[in-house]
Amino acid sequence: MASAIEAAINLGVPLLLLAVAYFTGRRVERQHYASIRARESELRMLPAVTFRQIPSAWAVDGLGVVSGSCVVSVDYFKRFLAGLRTFVGGRVTSYETLLDRARREAILRCKEDARRRGFQAVVNLRIETTRVTRASNNSRATAGVEVLAFGTGLELRRDPR
Amino acid sequence: MEYDPKLPADGINTTDENPLREFALLIAGLVGVAIALIAIAALAVDRLVPLVPPSLEARWFGGIAEAIAAEDPRSAPVQALVDRLVAHWDDAPYPFHVGVLDGEPDPNALALPGGAILVTSGLLEQVGSENELAQVLGHELGHFRDRDHLRGLGRGLAAQLVLGAIGGSGELVSGLSAFAGALAQRGFDRRQERQADAFGLALVQAEYGHVAGAGDFFARLAPSDHEVPAAGRRLARYLETHPSHEDRISALAAEAKANGWPTAGPLTPWVAPSTE
Amino acid sequence: MILSTTETIPGRTIKRFFGVVTGSTVRSKHIGRDFMAGLKNIFGGELKGYTELLQESREDALARMVQEAESLGANAVVNLRFATSSITQGAAELFAYGTAVQVD
Repeated sequence: MASAIEAAINLGVPLLLLAVAYFTGRRVERQHYASIRARESELRMLPAVTFRQIPSAWAVDGLGVVSGSCVVSVDYFKRFLAGLRTFVGGRVTSYETLLDRARREAILRCKEDARRRGFQAVVNLRIETTRVTRASNNSRATAGVEVLAFGTGLELRRDPR
Repeated sequence: MEYDPKLPADGINTTDENPLREFALLIAGLVGVAIALIAIAALAVDRLVPLVPPSLEARWFGGIAEAIAAEDPRSAPVQALVDRLVAHWDDAPYPFHVGVLDGEPDPNALALPGGAILVTSGLLEQVGSENELAQVLGHELGHFRDRDHLRGLGRGLAAQLVLGAIGGSGELVSGLSAFAGALAQRGFDRRQERQADAFGLALVQAEYGHVAGAGDFFARLAPSDHEVPAAGRRLARYLETHPSHEDRISALAAEAKANGWPTAGPLTPWVAPSTE
Repeated sequence: MILSTTETIPGRTIKRFFGVVTGSTVRSKHIGRDFMAGLKNIFGGELKGYTELLQESREDALARMVQEAESLGANAVVNLRFATSSITQGAAELFAYGTAVQVD
């Protein structure tokens, strides 16, 4: 009888953690997406492109390197789902929203950096993704994902429209 | 070249599937696979165990059995009883050695590989008659006949291997699989216990000519069951490895009736041996 | 949809440009591939299983990027780049990005 109670506790605690992580994770994600969409709409007047050469039509007064980065954390539920996925293979859908959010946030921060410094466009945009690990005991568990977006901000004499 | 500040459509880089559904599917799938693997491993163990010759088992484990037996002087009368019972068993695989677990107030007996039977000091003190003790010892001999102790070892090992392989996905999956697997095992274990009980009864009949007193052990323990409420008892019964005490008493009575063994007769008294 | 890693499409001029479009997928290996890879780690040779996995991921990511470009009304993506990163043990993200443009 005691072993059954012990087993129930052994299962109950992770399940509870998963449930908590699921609900809080979803809320955090929803709020983040709302913020992202609002700022994307606001910043769309500032073009960010991957052109390596500055279009000849643009008259450039000044330039500088601009960047923005974001580290998004992985919640317990997502990490658990991804762990299960590595058995059967296929798309790890729980991580897709994570990376989407991190990337869009990084690009937004890059644009915000450009705007703050008086640039009107960002060229040669590059995006780098890295995994941030938590070095605990022997495991190198993924603590989060960092996305860095950087490029060259241009101060233009005339609006590039 | 003109700039068009349009925003691309949302949600292309994400999938809209409900994560809870994915979670349920994956967990169910993995736990199912784990249980299947454990069941296959258990079946394999069951097939292989009879192939282990008793002589081999005695060679590997026999040394421990003898060592334990030599320690306590109380084991002598119990050893004598076991020897008398074994005399009625034609195919006894190897010699059995009795050991006493000192300082254990709970009455219990165990069978260990190699022919060791351990009884607790509590058992020796609480048993009411020699017939009752004979049934308990006969039950352990029944386990040896069916090689149950080896099966238990093998199955445990197999389960550990499978769970270790799945261990990567975390405690939840292995915990769930272990739990479900253990529940499935319970039914199997209960059958083993019933068979051991029946063999014990046959030995008692052979030794004394009747089976009176065989069920006394369970009858004495049965009242403690009633402390648990009825619904809890049903659940406990499902989760325990042994059938409930009442079930065992009725099973013994049925077995005696089916074989025409007399259930009444003189009980041989038992005096708890002292430690000198 | 024209895809190119060059600055311009030879023979065509860019009339309009939109912003950066991205496409990404995160894919994981399954236990069979992992086992074969483990063996290959002893004997050497190409990890065909993983090559296929990443190939599929690349196609998937490109398809998503093209979808984003189409939703803008673009008909070409220039200055296309790829990036791969390991996200968690056993899963990798494959990600393609470029500038969506309209060529004549």
